[in-house]
Amino acid sequence: MTSPVDAPNAVRQDKYYLALPLGQRPPLRVIVDKRNLLANLLLLGLLILLAGVSLNTGSAASLSLPATLRALFGAGSPLDTFVIQELRLPRIVAGVVTGGAFALAGCLMQTVARNRLATPGIVGLDNGATAFAVASVVGAGISLAPPAMALTGAAVAAALTFGLTGRIGVRGYRFLVAGIGVGAVFGALTQLMLTRVSIDAANAAYPWTVGSLNARPDHAVLSLSLALLPALLAGIWLTRSLTVLRLSDAVAISLGIAAGRCRMVALSVAVILTGLAVAVAGPVGMVALIGPEFARQLSAKNTVPVVGATLAGAVVMVAADLLGRVILAPIEVPVGIVTALIGSPLLLWILLNPNARTAP
Amino acid sequence: MRVLTHYLSFGKPRSLIGLWLGLSGLLIAIALLSLLYGAGDVGPSRAWQALQDLGAAASYDSEARFVIAELRAPRLWIGLVVGVALGVAGALLQAVTRNPLAEPGLLGVSAGAAFAVTLAILWGADTATLRVSVAQLGALGGCLCVLAAARLQGIGNDPVRLILAGAILSGLLHSLSSLILLYDQHTADEIRFWVVGSLAGRQLDDLVPLFPSLGVAALLTILLARPLAALALGEHVAIGLGHHPRVVRLLVIVVVALLVGGATAAAGPIAFVGLVVPFAARALAGPDIRRTLWLCLPLGPIVVVSADIVSRLVVPPSELPLGVLTALIGAPVLIGVVRGRRLPTL
Amino acid sequence: MTHDAPACERDATQPDIAPDMTTQGLSLAYGSVAVIEDLDLQLPAGQVTAIVGPNGCGKSTLLAGLSRLLKPRGGTVLLNGTDIRHQPTRQLAKRLALLPQQPHAPEALTVAELVRFGRHPHQSWLRQWSADDKACVDEALELTGLTTLAERPVDALSGGQRQRTWIAMAIAQQTATLLLDEPTSALDLGHQVEVYELIQSLAASGKTIVMVIHDLVSACRYADHLIAMYQGHVIAEGLPSQTVTPELVKRLYGVDCTLMTDPATGAPLLTNVRRTRDVLDGSAT
Repeated sequence: MTSPVDAPNAVRQDKYYLALPLGQRPPLRVIVDKRNLLANLLLLGLLILLAGVSLNTGSAASLSLPATLRALFGAGSPLDTFVIQELRLPRIVAGVVTGGAFALAGCLMQTVARNRLATPGIVGLDNGATAFAVASVVGAGISLAPPAMALTGAAVAAALTFGLTGRIGVRGYRFLVAGIGVGAVFGALTQLMLTRVSIDAANAAYPWTVGSLNARPDHAVLSLSLALLPALLAGIWLTRSLTVLRLSDAVAISLGIAAGRCRMVALSVAVILTGLAVAVAGPVGMVALIGPEFARQLSAKNTVPVVGATLAGAVVMVAADLLGRVILAPIEVPVGIVTALIGSPLLLWILLNPNARTAP
Repeated sequence: MRVLTHYLSFGKPRSLIGLWLGLSGLLIAIALLSLLYGAGDVGPSRAWQALQDLGAAASYDSEARFVIAELRAPRLWIGLVVGVALGVAGALLQAVTRNPLAEPGLLGVSAGAAFAVTLAILWGADTATLRVSVAQLGALGGCLCVLAAARLQGIGNDPVRLILAGAILSGLLHSLSSLILLYDQHTADEIRFWVVGSLAGRQLDDLVPLFPSLGVAALLTILLARPLAALALGEHVAIGLGHHPRVVRLLVIVVVALLVGGATAAAGPIAFVGLVVPFAARALAGPDIRRTLWLCLPLGPIVVVSADIVSRLVVPPSELPLGVLTALIGAPVLIGVVRGRRLPTL
Repeated sequence: MTHDAPACERDATQPDIAPDMTTQGLSLAYGSVAVIEDLDLQLPAGQVTAIVGPNGCGKSTLLAGLSRLLKPRGGTVLLNGTDIRHQPTRQLAKRLALLPQQPHAPEALTVAELVRFGRHPHQSWLRQWSADDKACVDEALELTGLTTLAERPVDALSGGQRQRTWIAMAIAQQTATLLLDEPTSALDLGHQVEVYELIQSLAASGKTIVMVIHDLVSACRYADHLIAMYQGHVIAEGLPSQTVTPELVKRLYGVDCTLMTDPATGAPLLTNVRRTRDVLDGSAT
């Protein structure tokens, strides 16, 4: 971090300037918003704290902190080590990556559509991914792995929603209702498939169709983790363009942004993340609303908090999962229900409060 | 389709009667089909034979007779009642919110009814009568939420935002119901088959508690049709014509709650019927609410009963929940309406 | 950095010759509806050009075509002799700025923040801010008289100030050519004059300005070059004082008028405007 002296005399109090002098050529200089940096650090701290609590909470007898740490690094008793390393840690990892992925996808889609309600879940992506993933689980003649199927489903749903509303555009609310329609079709297809399998299989699939971290197939977690990092980098790279795209298409193009390409890339990233995340945890679409909303509250105004949204999504997911395990213990409330109970009132408030902005 | 509706809506009252008779004939044919076809072993020819023997004291095919009298006939009756109730409720709700997309299932009215029933079962209510009243109360709650949202600044004249709010409310109530089902295994067992929305496994006795409230609803609908038609011209015009918009709106909401609550208690939450039926009725008969209501009478059961037939036949020997099928029919209609260059207004 | 901030200079890649914007056989369409067909046009460098015409004559469409918002169905738009479609959009953004009609700023965005967006084409992910940027933003704020308002939110300003902010953003973009779509619509008279005088001073400093405007009188008063469009065709162009005739006004708007010369400025002045009794239907062809 450079001192203000080295920064151009346009130093603004709310920014850090990371500069790399290059001799004769103009220095490389990256601006970091102080408030966003602070928000991200806060969210990171919160995530670590929650992960710690979550690691220490479960149906087995509560472990002491030193015992938990020993078990985490493989030095505790075999039973503790098993519980921590094989049961709780993977669950937390799955929660972090799915929450981050859902929220990042939500943030990108909201920004591109200039509407805080335009999350992948509302426009039918979650249901599309779920329907295809269920198809692969119940073996409806297709032998792709669930992540690939969920990805295909999310892409098909996105193509349907955005294709069907091509003429009316993503502006306004109509395309959201079209998305609800697309989602309803896929939801019905999912139910249709579940009625055709045995009652046991349907029961087993139930927590997964409402969104839960119980299933979390290992290969799905792995593919999502592999996709999340490049997606986050792409999001950070797109941030500058997205910030301008918030103004209007005409202004953005005039400022030299390939608006169509930028929108396409952002939507593709959102589709990929949503599809892969659904393959891990089912449709927990409300995280895509709550995460970015949380991050925007903490971050500086008029920025697109890509990193913040990802972290906040992870926080929300881990917290909701923890809450779901504690609140009605020993019954476990699926994380999808917990987030829906938190997210729906938030959505209603955004939609019905005449003073609330709908632009992200 | 456009050509068809153009000719059919070339509105003279006489053509309405012709249309009504034609649709009623179609309904009778479909009702007959629903008695003849099923997911089980009794095929159309055996069923036909059994139908002819129905008047006779004894029948040589007692299995077919049982299937028709005890399984298919109650189902048909419930389908008829539910179809009329949902179709008329949709038309009324659309007229009173002046929103062509207002549908009891989408707006959270059915979800309100379902949630109320879930709560009632959790707290030990069991008799069918109580269940109907509870569902109607829940539907009333949902209706009042919709009405309140529609009166909010900026929402009332944006049909699409109202639908979004309803969809979110439905989602919220659905999650709450799921929470209760997780919490209470007994409730879950009671309600599992009811909550998907289906005509299967219902008994004729389930219908009896509906009749008083449906009678009240029918009477009110007849009284309200004229003021509603005036209300379509705008609140001020309606006042000028000597109506009381506020009273009319509240009464319509009560009727919708009675109809949707009753239908939901009988068959579980079934979405999109209240969208598709009035939509078709308006396409055939034009926008006047009185004409729409007349056509909803045969159209509602046509949609529900034929969807029920398809649900029995598409994946034999198991059955498809009716709600799934109506969603598959209704969602494309919804998308089509939203896609239009201009939203139709009421 | 110890030395003084450099003065805002044109981008080094910018050729020094005056920009010359022309169209060759340009055809523009929305979907299947052809709006402009086979249009050849030359826009004089360093002057204010006003495009006028009745509603629906294609003037805003033309501006969208000139600014690459609308892809031509046929023909080309040349800037300094090269087809704008053959230039990367970012490079083009250093030469050509567009101010759309009544743009809308997100809530709580400040004047300075909005004007800084104008530097976007000159920056990259690794060079997000430079002394040049600072100098150009300051100069743009200075030119538009917004320095004291820099930290105010845009949506708290008056209509004229808001429009000046958007123009400041386009100035900070440091382009030689500036396209404006109805820059004074929805402004009252005082704010209109405020914006037009700013536009004139920009042209005086060497920029090429092309604006679509509704008001023929203002076009005559403030433009150096007038292009009159009717049903997708240019039916007259040139100096306002030589171009505007009662016949032209009648053809464009279907009204009769008396033409005077403004004693103060020498610009044509329309008076006694009244509806023509016999609008000739075929007059456009």
